Amino acid sequence: MFFHIVLERNMQLHPRHFGPHLRDKLVAKLMKDVEGTCSGRHGFVVAITGVDNIGKGLIRDGTGFVTFPVKYQCVVFRPFKGEILEAVVTMVNKMGFFAEAGPVQIFVSNHLIPDDMEFQSGDMPNYTTSDGSVKIQKDSEVRLKIIGTRVDATEIFCIGTIKDDFLGVINDPGAAS
Amino acid sequence: MGLNRLVKLAARAFYDDITTKGDNQPKTGRSDNRGMAVVVLDALTRCYTRCQWVREEDLAKDLKLHSKQLRCTLRFFEEEKLVTRDHRRETAKGAKIFSAAVAATADGGQIGKEGEEKIKMHTHFYCCLDYAQVALCRSESDKLAAQEMGDGVDNARRRRREKLKDMLQKMEYKCLFFLEVTSWKRMQAQLKPLIEQLSRVKDLAVPEFGSLQAWEARANAAGHAANGDSSANDSSKSSQGQGYGGTAMPFLGETRVEVALSGAEAKEEDTKPNTANMSMKVLPPWMIKQGMNLTKEQRGEAKQETKMDSSLAPAELSDDKKSKDEYAKAYYAAILKRQQEQEEENKRKQQELYNTNNAMNGVPDISSDRRVGMKSKRDEDGRDDDVEWEEAPTAGTHQLLPCFQMFVALSWVIRFFDK
Repeated sequence: MFFHIVLERNMQLHPRHFGPHLRDKLVAKLMKDVEGTCSGRHGFVVAITGVDNIGKGLIRDGTGFVTFPVKYQCVVFRPFKGEILEAVVTMVNKMGFFAEAGPVQIFVSNHLIPDDMEFQSGDMPNYTTSDGSVKIQKDSEVRLKIIGTRVDATEIFCIGTIKDDFLGVINDPGAAS
Repeated sequence: MGLNRLVKLAARAFYDDITTKGDNQPKTGRSDNRGMAVVVLDALTRCYTRCQWVREEDLAKDLKLHSKQLRCTLRFFEEEKLVTRDHRRETAKGAKIFSAAVAATADGGQIGKEGEEKIKMHTHFYCCLDYAQVALCRSESDKLAAQEMGDGVDNARRRRREKLKDMLQKMEYKCLFFLEVTSWKRMQAQLKPLIEQLSRVKDLAVPEFGSLQAWEARANAAGHAANGDSSANDSSKSSQGQGYGGTAMPFLGETRVEVALSGAEAKEEDTKPNTANMSMKVLPPWMIKQGMNLTKEQRGEAKQETKMDSSLAPAELSDDKKSKDEYAKAYYAAILKRQQEQEEENKRKQQELYNTNNAMNGVPDISSDRRVGMKSKRDEDGRDDDVEWEEAPTAGTHQLLPCFQMFVALSWVIRFFDK
């Protein structure tokens, strides 16, 4: 789920950037450093929406670097257990399939795929129902429910299921809708 | 350090009974020379932490021994291959070089003398490793000696020493077969600390100091490199790596000190050092959309990756649960709000329908864009299950909780194979 939160970070700036555009350079560096990263606590930082406050810079001993505490607002994405997401299938194998919902990768094990769907190997490995009506392959869109998240310091990884009501394929790229 | 201890143990184990044979003993009553070998070896190991080559005269002064006695002991050690000796004639200049290399302040007095012959010693530690075999032989030679106790202890020991020298020529392990178990155990117990130290030290790289000249040259070069001034005590001290403090670590190589004066070499402490790449950033794949004008680097194909802010990471894991609760609360609040809004909307619509058309059954027309399912059912269920949300309430999942660990493990395995 997406959140809009205020985070704080200490930015170090090299003296060569000191000058009239110090603040701009600081903000640019912040965006470069933070956007696209993931923390276990806040999730994936999707975009910085604004800078609230830049504190006084502290000169580090021994080097000329200066540390600025910066408060900024950003949009983060963090998956939760029990959340229902739409995701795009990226890989299918006999253990299950991987899907991506934006920055987060979700794995759906074959135990959590409805029993009537069987794995078909081949050029395009996929899961298909016995009558061939529903097919899950690469680039299919599925709605899944997250049943577990694994949070590292820099990565979030999820396990999902499509074995519930109203879950499963939304849009199959191969079939005519 | 390990080597020093080894030498000390070996000295105490094997050399505590050495007497200087037939030399002119001083009349001051220092007739008991038994411990001298141990003392000399100890002194050499001490000197070793300071500098590798030691002048014989200095050693005699330190130990307050007669130089002749010391020379005798050192000659004995040379035969035992524990010590290497070298002598040369040196002028005052040579003395200066030596003192610069050694950084010993006691050499100051030597500068005035010319043409003096100086003898230096140097401890060869690699020979200690031979003691692994010597120890084994020793033990059984002791056993043989014990059998011949009638001859008196001194003679037995002397004979033992001679036997040792012979054994070193032969296949040492042949002798082991003659041992009796009991005496061997006794010897082993006595030699245990020594053998332990040996095993500890066995793998340690033996410090090789080379010849005197080579060592001096090296020490001086290191001194030059450090500060450009060989006469400065600080530089030579730092080149030694430990100076007079005598740290625990043996001098295994040169330490070089580089002073970055300009500060241009100063690195960032936290994360990325290259602020020169400020304009270029590698975007993770999920940030890349179609139609974005990006360079190869930004697409990450150049394989330069920016690292996560590590300062955020450590504190977070501990607070994870708290923040999780906060997020969970926010999530629940959002869901509740949404449900309430929808309820109100439904009620409103119901009212409208009821008002406008009484014939209608009053079935709420749920405004839902979703083609997937019946929203009303879900809402009612959802409300009940609010409390149990975290516990994965639906029927299909209850059997999964025990298997979850397995799934996680499986998934990680797959991930590894994929990546």
